[in-house]
Amino acid sequence: MKTFLKWAAVIVVVIATLGFLAFLYVIPPFYTTPPEEFGKLMADAPPGVTDIADPVERAIAERGRYIVMTSGCNGCHSVVGSQGPDLSLYLGGGGLKIQTPRATFVSRNLTPDKETGLGRRTDDEVKRVLRSGTFSDGHVVEGSAMPWPVYSNWTEEDLHAVVVYLRHLKPIHHVTPEPVRGRAITISGAIEQDYGGKDYGTSKAEPR
Amino acid sequence: MIRGAWYVCATAATLLVAAALSQPPARVEAQPRGKNVYDAHCVECHGDMGRGDGPSAAYVTPRPRDFTSGKYKIRSTESGSVPTDDDLMQSVRQGLYGTSMPAWARILSDAEIADVVTYIKGLSPQFATAPRPVSVGAGVPSSPESIARGQQAYDKLQCGKCHGSDGRGTGAVATTFEDDWRQPLRAADLTEPWTFHGGATARDVYLRFRTGMAGTPMPSFADAASDSEMWDLSNYVVSMARKPVWSMNADEIKAFYGAQAADAKANPVKRGAYLVETLGCVTCHSPVDEQKRMLPGLKLAGGMLLRIVPFGDYPTGNLTSDKATGLGNWSDEEIKRAITKGILRDGTRLLPFPMDYPSYSTMTADDLSAVVAYLRTVPPVTNKVPAPRRTFLPIYLWGKFKMLILGQDPPMVFFPGNAGLTGGR
Repeated sequence: MKTFLKWAAVIVVVIATLGFLAFLYVIPPFYTTPPEEFGKLMADAPPGVTDIADPVERAIAERGRYIVMTSGCNGCHSVVGSQGPDLSLYLGGGGLKIQTPRATFVSRNLTPDKETGLGRRTDDEVKRVLRSGTFSDGHVVEGSAMPWPVYSNWTEEDLHAVVVYLRHLKPIHHVTPEPVRGRAITISGAIEQDYGGKDYGTSKAEPR
Repeated sequence: MIRGAWYVCATAATLLVAAALSQPPARVEAQPRGKNVYDAHCVECHGDMGRGDGPSAAYVTPRPRDFTSGKYKIRSTESGSVPTDDDLMQSVRQGLYGTSMPAWARILSDAEIADVVTYIKGLSPQFATAPRPVSVGAGVPSSPESIARGQQAYDKLQCGKCHGSDGRGTGAVATTFEDDWRQPLRAADLTEPWTFHGGATARDVYLRFRTGMAGTPMPSFADAASDSEMWDLSNYVVSMARKPVWSMNADEIKAFYGAQAADAKANPVKRGAYLVETLGCVTCHSPVDEQKRMLPGLKLAGGMLLRIVPFGDYPTGNLTSDKATGLGNWSDEEIKRAITKGILRDGTRLLPFPMDYPSYSTMTADDLSAVVAYLRTVPPVTNKVPAPRRTFLPIYLWGKFKMLILGQDPPMVFFPGNAGLTGGR
């Protein structure tokens, strides 16, 4: 009887372990959210533009929303945990840490928050970064990390629409660390290492 | 001891005086200073040697200037001449509109801009000869008569052959060209003055006619037209400007976006090209070298190796129309499924990052079809990219365990070089 129980216990443990391993095998890597749902989540993520009062701003922001959504700004500039995207922090930055042979960057807060986002940046400053990767302190971000070289192919009118939309996002107070200069590659032969899946911001985010 | 110190001081003083007297070229001094400015701000596009081949160069249109050629579009000098220092400083200061060259005026001081201009002039032997500036007269003020005469000149000089009868390319013989570096080039849309690289005043436009745009098919009209004709033409071009979106009212915007959508539907290849250029497909689907410069001839041919450390190797696919190794034999539906669901032709599932199909799945049906239509027209490049390869099973499962329980995401690592085989093409 004892032996039977022992064996039963062993079998249960083995089946449970195998089951868990099979479960691990089956779930999608990276995110537990199934890809189909992920797409839907992404489509619902960008805040709408219907509550913008000015019809001109609304029409332009709608175009901007479409461009921001399809271009996947969200992929780096929002926090995406292993359960899927955290929609409350949409474009609040801190979602990705990128290491290159020159520096370490964390994606920035794109919401209009005055202290931690783009609130104090003029439209021209935002457009300059999107067109040429050039920040106001003169540093040029690598085009492989922030793909501004492809966004520089936006027409001036599409670029304008993107900025108008970003201006209408809900401000999120979320501090993201400044870039750290200096070689940061640890894997031999690599030209870039990206880390995601958690919040690289330095403060607890709180909607204002 | 004191005597020794005196000697040292005297020698140093003599050397300094000698250096100051025999010192003409501010250039010698400015070059190291200019190089510092250049290395800090210009390398990403113009490359470490000034050849216009920086890491970001291959992705932007138009391409960054190759300083070793000494050819510049935006000048106030005769055709064939190098630009003046003021021309170059002006381009650095205000940037080149409609390109990724930003305005540096508020970032760099005038002295720094002068230094960097001296430095880039030193990169081309062409600057050994002095520039030959054109003399710009008072010009012809804009008036309905001048604009009407300008329109006649537009026809007479056959501007419409490249720019179209309406300035937007309608009815043009050709609107896409190659510049001297064999890079694609579009004739300017004359109704969008905010894209005129050198500025949009009548004087700016006049200078482009008068001096030509070196390195491009835009010639100088100094011999073909009289000075007043060129001014009339400039006034006419300035008058062609349409209203930009940021000046429109709500109804105009609606009509404008509607017309754009209709145009996109009528010209899916053009719309698809714009989407593929701006969505960032090229960033991963073109292999790069150790300096992150795109490998020549492999744009969209795939082969960049991405390693998601515990999960496996995911070399990017060949998106050209090659039948054997690209998308040539894929059906439209298969391509669309890969873009929106991350499922390859053989059923392999891609990860939602870096292939951002969740975002692409939010594209409209028209845009998705346009992307496919454009990819069909990308010239075939043979580059056999290996299929995604999973890591050793226990490591793969451990990676998932970590992700699920410890909440850590693994590093995604980009490698230089082409993981594919170009097959002796």
